[in-house]
Amino acid sequence: MSGNEIKYFRPALGSGSPTQAAPLPSIKRRDFLKIMGWGTVGVTLAGCDLPTTVTLEEGKETVVSYLSPEEYVIPGIGVWYASACLQCQAGCGIHGRVREGRALKLEGNPDSPVNRGKLCQMGQSGVQTHYNPDRLSKPQLRKDGKLVDISWDEAWKVLEEKVGAAADKSAGARVAWFTGTVSGHQAVLIGEHLDALGSKRHFVHEAINNAVGRAVNQDVLGEAMPRLAIDKAKLVLSFGADFLGTWVSPVHFATEYAKFRSGARGVLVVAEPKMSLTGANADLWLAVRPGTEGELALGIAHALMKSGVSVPEAARAAVTAYEPAKAAEITGISVQRIEQVAALLKQHSPSLVLAGATVEGQEQGYQAASAVMLLNVMLGNVGKTIVSRGEFPFPQLKPRTGNTRDLVAFAAAAKDKALDVAFFYGANPVYTAPASLGLVEALQHIPFKVVLTQFPDETAAQADLVLPVASSLEDWGTHVADYQPEQGVITFQQPLMEGLYPGTPGVGDALLKLLKMREAQKYGAFNDYFSYLQNAVASLPEQYKAGGLTNKQLWEQTLQKGLLTVDSAPGSLKTNVSAITLGEVKTDAEYPLRLIPSPRLGLWDGRHANIPWLQEAPDQISKVVWDSWAELHPSTAARLGVQEGDVVEIASAHGAIKVKVYVFKGVHPDAIAVPLGQGHEDYGRYAKGLGVNPLKILSPAVDAKTGELALYSTRVKATRTGVHEELVKEGRDNTSQRGRKLVATITAEQFRRTEGV
Amino acid sequence: MLWIQWDRATRGPVQQGCVVLLAALALACAMPSLAGSVTPTSIKYPIVPDGTHAGKDVEQPIEFPHDIHTAVNKINCLYCHNYARRSKVAGIPPTSKCMGCHSVIATDKPRIKQLTEYWEKKQPVPWKKVHDLPEFVHFPHEKHLKKFLFDNEELVQNLSVDTVAPVCAACHGDLRTMTVAKKVKPLNMGWCVSCHKANGGPGDCWTCHK
Amino acid sequence: MSLDNLTKDWSRYRKGIEEGGFHNYQHRWGMAIDLNACIGCNACSTACYAENNLAVVGKERFSKGHYMHWMRIERYWDEDQAKAEFPTQGANFLPMLCQQCGAAPCEPVCPVAAAYHTPDGLNAQVYNRCIGSRYCSNNCPYRVRYFNFWSYYESAWPEPLNMQLNPDITVRDKGVMEKCTFCVQRIRTAKDAAKMENRKVKDGDVTTACAQACPTNAIHFGDLMDAESAVTKLWAKHQVKRHDDEGLPVSTQHKQNPALRGYRVLEELNTDPSVMYLERVREELA
Repeated sequence: MSGNEIKYFRPALGSGSPTQAAPLPSIKRRDFLKIMGWGTVGVTLAGCDLPTTVTLEEGKETVVSYLSPEEYVIPGIGVWYASACLQCQAGCGIHGRVREGRALKLEGNPDSPVNRGKLCQMGQSGVQTHYNPDRLSKPQLRKDGKLVDISWDEAWKVLEEKVGAAADKSAGARVAWFTGTVSGHQAVLIGEHLDALGSKRHFVHEAINNAVGRAVNQDVLGEAMPRLAIDKAKLVLSFGADFLGTWVSPVHFATEYAKFRSGARGVLVVAEPKMSLTGANADLWLAVRPGTEGELALGIAHALMKSGVSVPEAARAAVTAYEPAKAAEITGISVQRIEQVAALLKQHSPSLVLAGATVEGQEQGYQAASAVMLLNVMLGNVGKTIVSRGEFPFPQLKPRTGNTRDLVAFAAAAKDKALDVAFFYGANPVYTAPASLGLVEALQHIPFKVVLTQFPDETAAQADLVLPVASSLEDWGTHVADYQPEQGVITFQQPLMEGLYPGTPGVGDALLKLLKMREAQKYGAFNDYFSYLQNAVASLPEQYKAGGLTNKQLWEQTLQKGLLTVDSAPGSLKTNVSAITLGEVKTDAEYPLRLIPSPRLGLWDGRHANIPWLQEAPDQISKVVWDSWAELHPSTAARLGVQEGDVVEIASAHGAIKVKVYVFKGVHPDAIAVPLGQGHEDYGRYAKGLGVNPLKILSPAVDAKTGELALYSTRVKATRTGVHEELVKEGRDNTSQRGRKLVATITAEQFRRTEGV
Repeated sequence: MLWIQWDRATRGPVQQGCVVLLAALALACAMPSLAGSVTPTSIKYPIVPDGTHAGKDVEQPIEFPHDIHTAVNKINCLYCHNYARRSKVAGIPPTSKCMGCHSVIATDKPRIKQLTEYWEKKQPVPWKKVHDLPEFVHFPHEKHLKKFLFDNEELVQNLSVDTVAPVCAACHGDLRTMTVAKKVKPLNMGWCVSCHKANGGPGDCWTCHK
Repeated sequence: MSLDNLTKDWSRYRKGIEEGGFHNYQHRWGMAIDLNACIGCNACSTACYAENNLAVVGKERFSKGHYMHWMRIERYWDEDQAKAEFPTQGANFLPMLCQQCGAAPCEPVCPVAAAYHTPDGLNAQVYNRCIGSRYCSNNCPYRVRYFNFWSYYESAWPEPLNMQLNPDITVRDKGVMEKCTFCVQRIRTAKDAAKMENRKVKDGDVTTACAQACPTNAIHFGDLMDAESAVTKLWAKHQVKRHDDEGLPVSTQHKQNPALRGYRVLEELNTDPSVMYLERVREELA
């Protein structure tokens, strides 16, 4: 390997020769599986405890013994392994309980500074992603228009022809990767693969993202993702940032929230057009007219200015323009409320003001999010509750964060016939792209589409080659979250069990295989991704081997802990406010309502719709299961003449969906909220054919500054269809305590007297 | 070691001292010269309730001779079934344990040739289950062995296959007289409850029902 | 309950419940759930599915109320805001699970003693004893007993989903009542482990799946007989007492300081629940 720059960990720091130190291990990835006694026939269960219909008759059942187990593998006793949760991008560490070779239960890794031993319902469901009955087990190739099963040998051969050494070298630049958020060595290898092809086309897409907020952070603070010290704030004002549910790092923020609410107990104010899980925990909830959060922020800023808080010069004009009375008229929040929030902010210092998806997903999203950030600057929160996270010491491992700009760009590139080959991994753009982008038609212009996936999703249905990959509980990996808590951390992923489907490669292994096709000499030395990662750890700078750790010890210790903490010295944040310009809020007589495609903690962007536990877990607010619904304010419902369960047609200029009504006061009368996640045309038995996908009818409008899709700006109209179906909910209509003391309440004042600090 | 086990209690790798200790203990017991050949009659064994079961002769892939290993070679039950002392299940010994001896001992015998074949093909031996309990029953071997074996001072003083076997025999019959195992006790609830009553075991339903 | 209770002394045993239950507990497992911390996120509920082999019943059966949410989050809206245009505050979330009552209404009505009281203070359900009369669930004021109207093994765990099933706990079949057990399999494992080391189970040895998962640490679990356990201290801090504690009169809140947050749901029914809730805190901003 000498002479080749293998880019991981060290080279970015620019010193020394990175790869000389560690001899490549000779252990094959699958060796450890072999010794567990299930040979080549896939999974045979050692032990006998699988609860099923059993017979007690002697000699009827087989009990498989181990061949040669590790000393600590004892039938009947669970063993815990540390690994990484990949159900969203937050980067939580997990401990998986393994018994008789089966992964049974996942818990949070107490050593992870991200989730501190806790795990949300999506993380808990990792086992159902892994054992999902609809997982793909064989590669499929499109022949005569239909996807047919092929052998792995054939699959790799086809790839060799299309993108390997056999392919036309000059065509490399017409190859693209389209992924969800990726980080760690997976991201490094994707970058390497594109480099090897001479392409720069890595599109990174997530439907649930905070790309606009990152842009504002970068411009104002000088850091895209600073640390947000919710626990240090005395008041949190959230404009649609659902930090307890779907925003950035929910489990981490929930652990911080617990501290925020104890002792002196901070105040939570939430302004949003549709009540989120965070809104459902607010002390003061404000139903803001959709798309006017920026105006509300400026109105509050104006009230603060009037009470003597200084305004940065650049923003003075904007703040002056929005007197509370004007802001009240636009936003629907009364002057009195605006002044009350300003007074609360002044009274509770430091505070923390957050902007979420409903603010960012507008045509003036960047400007609105800047207006929200302005409040932090005015209130002096920067440096107190918004703290520098510093530069991550290994920039190559940092996440390529998903957004929607790349989705638009990808659709355009495909339409322009600029791509010959596209690889898809960790994203399902055919499901998440608005129909108005014309992605499905554009994909026809890409001659060869390779989808690396576990499931027969909508994108796989459009593929020319489908490569099933290992589940996250069968794979190796390293992951770096975009939001880093107080301690920088690389989360390590190791398999909890033998792969269910022999032959399905890990993602890293598939990438290495692709790289070997192109640059055999450079990558040939790595037997597999496992040895590659081991080598990567061995080549860490000396400071990580303090106390004379050998490479082997460091590797084992890292896997044991499931993470590697890294040093990153915090810098300091700027407060670089520039002028804010909010245009007129447009109205549309034909399409009077705004569509809120609200994300759910659970189904997320639709990727978890194939998990039965999450389908059967009631939505936190509406308590609906196994379905989509449209949240309508009672006044809107009355105007339309509909009640709960009545089916309405929601039409935008770009399409229509039909969905049952859920009448709810926690939504602004100008808005209609349809949750994300359902409406799959494919994706297995649990997802297919349930509910609707609101993303489909969104307009292709983008935020003027960042080019991000304005996901919350689509105007729609709703009409009744006359059809009525029961909406299946937990607890039926049981929303009132009927005077009983079920949830008892005490005032915050009394709480602070007895339990405050 | 590719998978690293993480012990939640100690935040470190699992201590393996007990394994070594047990192996040493078992080996010591396996040596006829060290184990007393006379079984003291004063050792207290569990009071075994009446009841028998006319077990089937189960055909195993290899006709394992329990009698030769125990009655002739005096190998302690727990040398092979060493999980019993630490886990709810006694477990079938891993093939590597068989090969520990049989890579050198009796390699020319047909049964050993069969075993070696499995080992070389890296295939586990598909043993047939003989003693089974319904899946709603929680039966921890380790607690029963603790009470009747390891907390039994006099027995521990005189550890040998002949002192240990009667403990196992309470449920499994005397394997010193069998080749492959055969179910000879009823192992049903009434029988379990009688034994719990006679020996002072717990009577709470949820102790055993899961 | 021992088999003796059932075969010889059943009527006296049942009367014992009416008189306030057992007084010679070995443990009494209890909880404290802080509604100030609960955010209603559902992590506990899904963790319970993963730990306890709960069947997914599907939309059709869910609509008939056949679901198996041993741990569910109830969500209530403020009644004083019935006339307001918008809610000005968030919801009232209540994690509801079996309260493991000291004087449980479910136990004495079971015709076959499948529902009974353990020496650990748990309301046990012996699945293979249950005949499915459903008297227990009809008598439960908390509605936390769930009936298997169907056999779900095939439908809820198609291969290879069944490989996830926890071997420490049974998969319940058609016609059987089931309920939260405070993760008795974890308690059993902890007790077995403690016994092997000749000691008692100590605080922190065992926790339930819901408490372990809870992102805000709203759920605390432990032994109320252990004076040093965190949950005992929480109960003491909030002046909530069990009925069996020094023969206190029932049907009352015992706390001297009404400003403290501890209470038990439907305590006036004299069920002596093992779950103490801490009141939700409301800022008076509206």
